[in-house]
Amino acid sequence: MDTSFGSKDRRKILLVIITVFFAISVFQLFNMQILERVVYTEKSTENSIKKITLKPPRGIFFDRDYRVLVSNKPSYTLQIIPANYNTKVSPLLERVLGMEPNSISKILAHNSGYSNFIPRRIKRNIDFKIVAWIEENKEQFPGVEYVIEMQRDYSFGVNASHLFGYTREINTRTLKKMKGIYSLGDYIGIKGIEKTYEDYLRGEKGYRLVIVNSEQRIISSYENGLKDKKPQKGFDLVLTINSEAQKVAEKKFKGKKGSLVAIDPKTGEILAFVSAPQYDLSEFASVVSREVIRKLSKDKDKPLFDRATMSIYPPGSTIKMLAAIVGLNEGLITKHTTVNCKGGYQFGNRFFRCHGVHGYTDVVKAIEKSCNTFFYKLILDIGLDRWAYYCKLFGFGKKTGIDLSEESRGIVPSSDYYNRVYGKNKWGRGNLISLGIGQGELSVTTLQLAQYAALLANYGKTVKPHVVKGYLTRNSQEFIPFNFDSVNVNIDRKYFDIVRWGMYKVVNGDGTARGIKLPDIKIAGKTGTSQNPHGKDHALFVAFAPYDNPKIAIAVMVENVGFGSSFAAPIARDVIKAYLQSQSEIDNQKILSSIN
Amino acid sequence: MFQKIADKFDFSIFLPVLLLMGAGLVAIYSSTYNHPTASGNFQKQVYFALISLFVFFFFYLLPHKSYRILAPYAYGFSLILLIGVIFLGKTVYGAKSWIHVGPIGFQPSEFAKIGLILFLGYWLTYKKRNINNIKDVGIALLIGLVPVGLILMEPDLGTAIVYLIITFTMIFWSGLNLFAFFVVVSPVVVIFASFFGTASLVIAMLLILIALFFFRRDLFTSITIVVVNLASAFIFDYMIKFLKPHQQKRIETFINPNADPLGAGYNALQAKVAIGSGGIFGKGFLHGSQTQLRFIPEQWTDFIYCVIGEEFGFWGSVIIISLFMIIFLRILNILPSVKDKFSNIVLVGILTLLFTHFSINIGMNLGITPVMGLPLPFLSYGGSSLIVDMALVGIAMNIYNNRRQYT
Repeated sequence: MDTSFGSKDRRKILLVIITVFFAISVFQLFNMQILERVVYTEKSTENSIKKITLKPPRGIFFDRDYRVLVSNKPSYTLQIIPANYNTKVSPLLERVLGMEPNSISKILAHNSGYSNFIPRRIKRNIDFKIVAWIEENKEQFPGVEYVIEMQRDYSFGVNASHLFGYTREINTRTLKKMKGIYSLGDYIGIKGIEKTYEDYLRGEKGYRLVIVNSEQRIISSYENGLKDKKPQKGFDLVLTINSEAQKVAEKKFKGKKGSLVAIDPKTGEILAFVSAPQYDLSEFASVVSREVIRKLSKDKDKPLFDRATMSIYPPGSTIKMLAAIVGLNEGLITKHTTVNCKGGYQFGNRFFRCHGVHGYTDVVKAIEKSCNTFFYKLILDIGLDRWAYYCKLFGFGKKTGIDLSEESRGIVPSSDYYNRVYGKNKWGRGNLISLGIGQGELSVTTLQLAQYAALLANYGKTVKPHVVKGYLTRNSQEFIPFNFDSVNVNIDRKYFDIVRWGMYKVVNGDGTARGIKLPDIKIAGKTGTSQNPHGKDHALFVAFAPYDNPKIAIAVMVENVGFGSSFAAPIARDVIKAYLQSQSEIDNQKILSSIN
Repeated sequence: MFQKIADKFDFSIFLPVLLLMGAGLVAIYSSTYNHPTASGNFQKQVYFALISLFVFFFFYLLPHKSYRILAPYAYGFSLILLIGVIFLGKTVYGAKSWIHVGPIGFQPSEFAKIGLILFLGYWLTYKKRNINNIKDVGIALLIGLVPVGLILMEPDLGTAIVYLIITFTMIFWSGLNLFAFFVVVSPVVVIFASFFGTASLVIAMLLILIALFFFRRDLFTSITIVVVNLASAFIFDYMIKFLKPHQQKRIETFINPNADPLGAGYNALQAKVAIGSGGIFGKGFLHGSQTQLRFIPEQWTDFIYCVIGEEFGFWGSVIIISLFMIIFLRILNILPSVKDKFSNIVLVGILTLLFTHFSINIGMNLGITPVMGLPLPFLSYGGSSLIVDMALVGIAMNIYNNRRQYT
């Protein structure tokens, strides 16, 4: 190349460099602004438009007569944004909020895997005074903020903790599974109706689009809010519960342990549902529930345990009606078959006792007097596997399919069961005999007993027990019912008549529950005592009323109190009375309003 | 009449410069609109623009001969300023590049450019200089490397690179043979390649081997050059560890701006987003969301081009670089008619300076060169660079006016 000063070639090289750079720049501009414009526009939009999630209020609960059971109320929630938070103020905050030392750092550690800019709830339902105090001392508490949140309001006189259940901040594992629907800090139903009907109750989140600057400060709304989405409130549920009956049931169980389930025998609708002791749902609403749950799960009375659906025990004498029906249906006995009760039954070298000497006893008297001798003989005739078949037919040993989250299936022993438990040929008919009076391995839940009472009341026909009738549409508040499968044991009505008559006499004749007889309501029932190897026996009572046209079937179990008639039966009577009275009042109102 | 004036006053340089200054004011207005701290910058820039026009006419009207006389003094004074800034300078963004005299602050490294161009031109064209003589090349390099070293001490990597490129180009222009030029420049290329990792270093070394093959020098020379190149890369790599963290970060950022989108790579990424989202016609004046919502910090300085890109789109962006192209091509066109060697090489120095600033700045806005903190001539906010750029344009047009004269 020419090595002279400023040669033509060198000028050309400069020209080429300049032109090439120009070409590259224009090409890159074309590329970015025309070809990849969409990509960059998206990024630029993401940059400046922030989506603020708007959480919907949960659907509320009405009872069967549209009285509010559970509602929502606004409350202050204190939350912390870990990124801005100074942990040095934790002890002070904990003292002011009445929390245990180090509880804030525990809460913050819990979801430490998520962005430090997502606020974490520390305490709900805090006092306005505390809010004011924090507002005044804002600079001292960076990253501490309060928001108004809707929380459950249980101030309507019904607690029904095991029925309603509760919500809790969604845990990390569930969150991973349900991404898209839930986000960190969302509440999700984890027990009771709150859990089974979560999809209805939760509602749909909405959002507000806002324009933010690079410091994430909100500058204005986006397109005047035209593209915002309003949150959709969750569906309100109409429960099958009757407030009056429920209140009475809860009151009667104060200080006791046990359970109660009342069902409308024709519809399977649960009218009252108690597992005692209960827990205070309003406590769940105010505190971050982890602490409360820890405390409750340590309680020796196990208040978190749902005794109505989870606790299993031998049904005692309440099972005798089933034995009678099997005997009648299988032709082993007739209405007139009698057994001479001499105070017990001799089987081989063992004598099985009755609690009295009943003399010649037919099936009705056997139920009325709860004569064991009659049923010792009958169960031997029925035989183990036939007995197991009928137990299952009447809903024992399997889940009822109630619309609550947890349920125990109980135990219905069969040959297979005994072979498994005792070993082949290591058990005999002696095991069978005690089954005839509801003792031994047969184990049931109160819910199953209530369904059994409903089947007896309604001649072997009912609907799967359930606690929710349906929901109300969002806009028109129109009631949409849920459908539940019906249950039918297909046994002749006349056999039910015999057994039902026996039950009627238990209360209204010379029976074991004559103490609860009412002048105006015909109750039919049966007492039972569930033998408890760990302590005092459990008192049982199953009943339905009115006798001629049953509107309520009920099962009551009171733990560790002894014989059924003195403890369980009066509770059943009061709940029946409360329910039927409230129904007649409503009927009267209906009649009055139809006249007007 | 017009032709007479145009013969003395080159409108094809002056008009594009005025238009670019106007575009700069528009972009500065937009990027500082309603800004809490920088909303006064537009007004300040208007003053700077007026001052720079005076400066332009001063340099345009200065007697042609005075530049050669002033050259050694300008260089000497520049070195004094560059040394002074190391001791008296105020640290801004991690670099000590500002000197304050009363209320006025300025960047010596901007003003020293004039000194370098004038003195290097003076030295390279002094009497019968033979650039292909190793001593003369050495001294020419030294003239460039002394300010480069001082600027690296501030440290201001971007400006140091501009000085290097000016020095190389002016030496190249004075006729250094290609092999010698290759020997001088190749280590710099290798050092740059080594920033980008081993792969690019290997490619650069391969290219050097190919070039050596074509130069057909003896084995000893070739091996020496390879060794020197490799050694310089390794020494520089080692020296990078002594760089200030913000400079190390700048290098990393250029290599992969996506790696740390909220850290140092943030600006580069946001600039691309701003320009790309501008589309064909732009989002409109004061309607660029990236600009108006301040996603690019200090956008009115080094990232002024993305205001244009976002608010005026592809056409706006192309018009701006086309105006620069008009200036550059015009200067290239004038060059053969400038008879005086000193004036000629000074004009090349001015062209190189403007083009280097332009290409690095546009390049970093478009994500094709590293973020080096160099202003875009005539558009970026800032008094020092605008006044110096206009002074250089004044000198260039002075040279045009006197192109037929020998001194």
